[in-house]
Amino acid sequence: MKKVYKNVMLMLFFIMAFGQNLAANEQVELKKHFLKKIDEVILVVEDKKLSKDSRNGNIIKCLTPMFDFELMAKLSLGNKWKELSKENQDKFVALYVERMKQSYSSKIDAYKDEKVEVKKIDQSQEGRIAFVTDLVSKEQKLEIVYKFHKPKEKRNDKDSWLIYDVEILGVSILKTDIAQFKEFLQTKSITELIDALSKQS
Amino acid sequence: MRFIYLTICLSIILNFAGCSSKNIEKPSEAALYEAKENNAVNGDVEEFSDEFKTEEVYDPFSGYNRFMTGFNDGAYEYVLKPVSKGYKTVLHVEIRESVRNFFNNLYFPMRFANNILQGKLSYASEEGARFVLNTTVGIAGLFDPAKSCFELQAHEEDFGQTLGFYGVGSGPHIVLPLLGPSNLRDMISLYPDSLLSPIDYNERRYWTLTDTLAEYLEAKSLENINYMSLNMDRYEKMRKDAVDLYPYLRDVYEQYRNKQIKE
Repeated sequence: MKKVYKNVMLMLFFIMAFGQNLAANEQVELKKHFLKKIDEVILVVEDKKLSKDSRNGNIIKCLTPMFDFELMAKLSLGNKWKELSKENQDKFVALYVERMKQSYSSKIDAYKDEKVEVKKIDQSQEGRIAFVTDLVSKEQKLEIVYKFHKPKEKRNDKDSWLIYDVEILGVSILKTDIAQFKEFLQTKSITELIDALSKQS
Repeated sequence: MRFIYLTICLSIILNFAGCSSKNIEKPSEAALYEAKENNAVNGDVEEFSDEFKTEEVYDPFSGYNRFMTGFNDGAYEYVLKPVSKGYKTVLHVEIRESVRNFFNNLYFPMRFANNILQGKLSYASEEGARFVLNTTVGIAGLFDPAKSCFELQAHEEDFGQTLGFYGVGSGPHIVLPLLGPSNLRDMISLYPDSLLSPIDYNERRYWTLTDTLAEYLEAKSLENINYMSLNMDRYEKMRKDAVDLYPYLRDVYEQYRNKQIKE
């Protein structure tokens, strides 16, 4: 009887230790991958030989596999998303993705002699990790939080962990969009929102 | 043997504790799961709904706020932007940075007092050291050797943050003419902060840089134009992300202030 208990306990300990290790390893791997990607983007930004268009194109190419823009599009509409027809859903996602890409590349374009430091990793629940980073420049430190989730199925052209929200100085891009679209749709229709977004891009 | 029983008991207790705390954290998990099953396509929206419950900003003055946002945006486009551009071409960036440092140094009493009021004593002492260094070695605050040589950071705190720190709610959102987004708490806080500012035109028993309203407006305009010349594209890049400018700026402001208060 004693032996059985011992064995069970040993197994339990192993499972717990191994499980925790796995989670820690995943964090380390993701951090490595993230910093590598950031370096790639910085290399593109600093390449002054490239024209502005091809630079932006390359930035987008680097970033796209990291971001779950499609999920962001869905979440930005909240419960309204369900009410959309399939056609409107596709249209909305395409426009939103385009808008995000443009917004990102134009913001990153302004990077100059800046580096990214991961100062904290938060794992609030399984399948979600947040990197609290500092964008350090000569002038100041800017706190940016990148929130990752792990989709149940890995998509072909995407990483296994994907960014679904970015908080810059506490301002969540997704939350801001949710509030914006919600207010817009209180007085206007989804077609008008789609029109407004297409005018932006 | 006792040890093994103890461990088993502990693990059982921990397991239960884990389950119950899970239940407390996410009461609607079962409901969410059910909804996901019913509609796999919309599953993502449900899964993240706990994280993206947006708190609505209290906004009884939205009509006025909308008008004032339009006014401020026009003032930026047709006055502030062209003037700042001209200013930028005339003055070298290092001079403009010195002007900014000078103004930042003047607001030391406000930051110092509000750090003390919030019990952030180490920040207050860092601010104190910054002020002494920058006023002397940094020639009346024109340079920032405290940061560049001694890595002493500024800690922005104002009375609005102090009130927020003690749990005072933001109240209705109010867009101020030329100053932009604010709320009742932050608007009222402008007054106590101004008492600690050397740029003011009211009768004071102590030294102020400006004595009349005209001088005050001149100094404030210089400060703002100088700031804008250093951060020219920041507002415009932000503005591009807005489908509707007013609610966008309102939400960015409130989220940003909440973050500052939490820090």
